[in-house]
Amino acid sequence: MKITVPHCGQMDIFINALCRKIGPDFVIPPKTSPRTLDLGIKYSPESTCLPFKFILGNFIEALEKGADTICMISDHGPCRVGMYDIVMQNILREMGYQFNWITMDDTRILRSYLLKFDRERRKRKVSLVEAIRALLFSWKKMNVCEEMERWTHKMRPYEVDRGETTRVSLECLRLIDGVTDLKELKIAREDALSRLANIEQDRTRQPLKMVITGEGYMVINPHANQDIERRLGEMGVEVTRTMWFTSQIAHAMRLDLLKKRSKSKAIRASKRYLPHNIGGECNASIGYAILYAREAYDGLIQLLPFGCMLESVAKNILRIVSKDYDMPILTFSLAENLSETTITTRLSAFVDLIQRKRKGREK
Amino acid sequence: MMSMRVGIPRALLYYRYFPLWNTFFRELGAQVVVSRPSTRKVLEEGFKFADDDVCIPIKMIFGHVLNIEDKVDYLFIPRLLSDNKTGYCCPMMAGLPEMIKYSMPHLPPILDPFVDERYRGTRLSGALSKVGRKLKYNFLQTRRAYSKAREQFDQFQRRMRDGVSVLDLINAFETNGCFTDEPLTEKEEDGSMKIGVIGHPYNLYDTLFNFDLFKRLKEANASIYTPERIHGHTIDHHLRRLKKDIYWTLGREILGAAFHLLESRVVDGLIYVTCFSCGIDSMIEPLVGFRAKREASPYMALMIDEHTGIGGFVTRLEAFLDTARRRKFNSDDERRTS
Repeated sequence: MKITVPHCGQMDIFINALCRKIGPDFVIPPKTSPRTLDLGIKYSPESTCLPFKFILGNFIEALEKGADTICMISDHGPCRVGMYDIVMQNILREMGYQFNWITMDDTRILRSYLLKFDRERRKRKVSLVEAIRALLFSWKKMNVCEEMERWTHKMRPYEVDRGETTRVSLECLRLIDGVTDLKELKIAREDALSRLANIEQDRTRQPLKMVITGEGYMVINPHANQDIERRLGEMGVEVTRTMWFTSQIAHAMRLDLLKKRSKSKAIRASKRYLPHNIGGECNASIGYAILYAREAYDGLIQLLPFGCMLESVAKNILRIVSKDYDMPILTFSLAENLSETTITTRLSAFVDLIQRKRKGREK
Repeated sequence: MMSMRVGIPRALLYYRYFPLWNTFFRELGAQVVVSRPSTRKVLEEGFKFADDDVCIPIKMIFGHVLNIEDKVDYLFIPRLLSDNKTGYCCPMMAGLPEMIKYSMPHLPPILDPFVDERYRGTRLSGALSKVGRKLKYNFLQTRRAYSKAREQFDQFQRRMRDGVSVLDLINAFETNGCFTDEPLTEKEEDGSMKIGVIGHPYNLYDTLFNFDLFKRLKEANASIYTPERIHGHTIDHHLRRLKKDIYWTLGREILGAAFHLLESRVVDGLIYVTCFSCGIDSMIEPLVGFRAKREASPYMALMIDEHTGIGGFVTRLEAFLDTARRRKFNSDDERRTS
């Protein structure tokens, strides 16, 4: 069995670490590239959303590479991600591929995941202790990766040589991806942190603080959002993003109750504008806008794939939130034909606007 | 005292729930004001306020709201998260009252009952009771109005299942205020072509979106099968083999109806009216398309958007009807020889 999953944040690192320890062979789909998107667009129904096209492209490339089992999450919510699995299976079968399909159901998350995991474990004759240790290790590894990324967001606006943070962080990620046990992970983490700290910085700058929120796939994946975090960082903006792969899982497993900016807190904060939780990340997007506005962030960027049913509701309501809290909000509705120039032009105009606003306040 | 005026926009779930809403408010003693049928102008008014990311039926409801906002004391825009024990409606409908409230200035107060049939406290009856109480009617009055409304609604659904066209029913209801027993459709001729027309009710029955599709089909001497004609059990039966829970109520109905019509060879051709950037259609339509291909049945997906013109529509429809007719002729021929 050669298993594959779509690219989503650092998920491939997690699955890779897990599979290397105990699981079946894992085929990482080739890094998401323009070809991936082209393949996705070619075989997807015309009006599906952008994540569908990326993920389908990932699967096609993984199948070309020799994968025979596809693992895909699902949902019972109002969002269309719950229908991805059945539509994709139909498309891929129509294309003539042979494969097994495993749907990871979100609603019975713990039970079904653990049962599947346990069955696989017993089949491979891995002891329970070993399995749990592998699971924890993979989880920690992914957490360290995301911590690195958080640091790069903080460092980038201060860097003297533009692009150095990006280069160093790539090195660090490679370093972390290579480790195989907890001790090495600890050393690698410290090494990576010191490397990041050694980047030449100009601490006199006063970067703007912005937060990125919106639909999960678009926020988490740089290939989907045209690397918006790097672009903003290089314009001198300190970026925070509301969604991480680990935070999504933590929310689904109710592990984030004590966190300061948890998704559940955001949903609670959104009740003033949208009294009922209508599913997806709609309420969270509105809630995060309120939470971060209270913390005096300078601006918010909402990302959504074109036609996203839930986020377009949020988009309408965010206009009022923006007015009420005096926080500029920029919405990117991303479709497959969005060019790099559009993004940079709109971003730099937005950053200019906020800078001018700040200067006006200082006077 | 002048009776209270409640405005219902002629869009979206109007085509599914109007008899219920109308009877409910009339029984309470309120006057119901329905916006005028859709026209190009109504839609263009809607564009001014609606966000460009939303689908065209939502843009349409903005236009309809604008059409009646100054003639009513209350606007009735229910928030339907789920109208079925297992399913969801389109999430945009769950956020619709907010979208309208925050995008348009000077609106009358909005009545937005929250309906989520999955939980006890938020069923339709309870939600409408709350609306009644908000309008200062007591519990008994709202209860009685609701049961009357439900009666009319059940009759509406029964007549739809009998094959009466939804538009005829609603028109008759609007003029008479209730359903009469007179038959509204002619008997089907035996040899006529049978065409399945599926899609969301607000796309199928909107006068601007459907380009008189039903009239054209009738002129072509075809009898029409819509999802409303198909019984819930049949839909369940056909979806069971899919091993997938289709969680959108409307999507489920469309897909089940399509599978039934295709697999049982009820129809000679199938038309799916979708709208651009509809999330539900974008997932359901491919599934219908694949099945139609497997069953080798004539199939056409008509996508409507802001720029759809009647020319292209008519050409495609004619070509489709020709294909369906030829196929029917051939299969009848085969049956006769064998």
